[in-house]
Amino acid sequence: MTGQVSVRAAEELPFPPSVEDFYLPPLIDGGGYWLTKFTLLVWLAVAILIVFFTIAYRDPKLVPGRVQWMAESVYGFARNSVAREMIGAEGVRFAPYLATLFSFIVLTNIFGIIPGIQLSPNSHIAFPATLAVISYILFNYVGIRRYGLAKYFKHSLVPPAPWFVLPILIPIEFISTFLVRPFTLAVRLFANMFAGHVILLVFTLGGFVLLRAESLFIKPVSLVSWALAVALTFLEVLVALLQAYIFVVLTSSYVQGALAEEH
Amino acid sequence: MTGDHSQHQGDPTPGAGQAWAALGYLISGMAVWGFAGWLVDRWLGSDGIVTAVGIMVGVAGGIYLIMKRMGPS
Repeated sequence: MTGQVSVRAAEELPFPPSVEDFYLPPLIDGGGYWLTKFTLLVWLAVAILIVFFTIAYRDPKLVPGRVQWMAESVYGFARNSVAREMIGAEGVRFAPYLATLFSFIVLTNIFGIIPGIQLSPNSHIAFPATLAVISYILFNYVGIRRYGLAKYFKHSLVPPAPWFVLPILIPIEFISTFLVRPFTLAVRLFANMFAGHVILLVFTLGGFVLLRAESLFIKPVSLVSWALAVALTFLEVLVALLQAYIFVVLTSSYVQGALAEEH
Repeated sequence: MTGDHSQHQGDPTPGAGQAWAALGYLISGMAVWGFAGWLVDRWLGSDGIVTAVGIMVGVAGGIYLIMKRMGPS
């Protein structure tokens, strides 16, 4: 191959994509700087979920219709497969939170691949961080409420181990429970959605860059690039569901850890 | 997610949660004691040997914690 992919033609294209692409301009000129596509999408997700679940449960039937069946599947999944499985019988009272969290994350993740939207609020660290803070407060709160402040910290910081290894273990427990947990919870979701968006940008925009290459041999390669963009979009569906699942599973496992009698 | 998850059986096991928790312990162990070792290194002026020891102590502590907290009791 002689022709190198010319960057000359790419001048008008925002290629390669950069982190700057995730700092969106305000939607309305002169409006609040906080009113971006992200903000709008979060509101949209909240609105969709409220409307969906309200309609689904407005007139519940013994034999559910399609919408009710979908809503019940989501809730049943969070209740039985996550809450009850991870936390046990008393986990059922966390099912509403877990179901809400799960459907909100799924929906906002899926925004990343819906044509015309193609941007997930979760690809901006602020949104996963907020979700992680909520889960962090939740599991600490239920733990403190169950055991009281001192006993909760003793319970979560002091593992059942001989006294002479405790000085090594306690700092690890502290960092892992109170710092690494919320941090990884947020970063895992953020990084997955961020990377997914960047990959789709690379292959989609890269197709245009290839198409504008000078060599005739390079131009058709853009088709490969776009085909990959389509294929990766389907992969992103999987990632979107998986990350939402991981998020609620970890939240419930933290709640379980905070409530557990003895480890 | 559609209806195939409303059943108990056939779900992906929440082992994913356990795996991530285990990873958290390992990383925290390495971070805490590696950092402590690094501080000692700076204090003594040695070139990284205490950091290495610290990281190994951290990994050992992390594995021990995983066994204690998550293993069969």
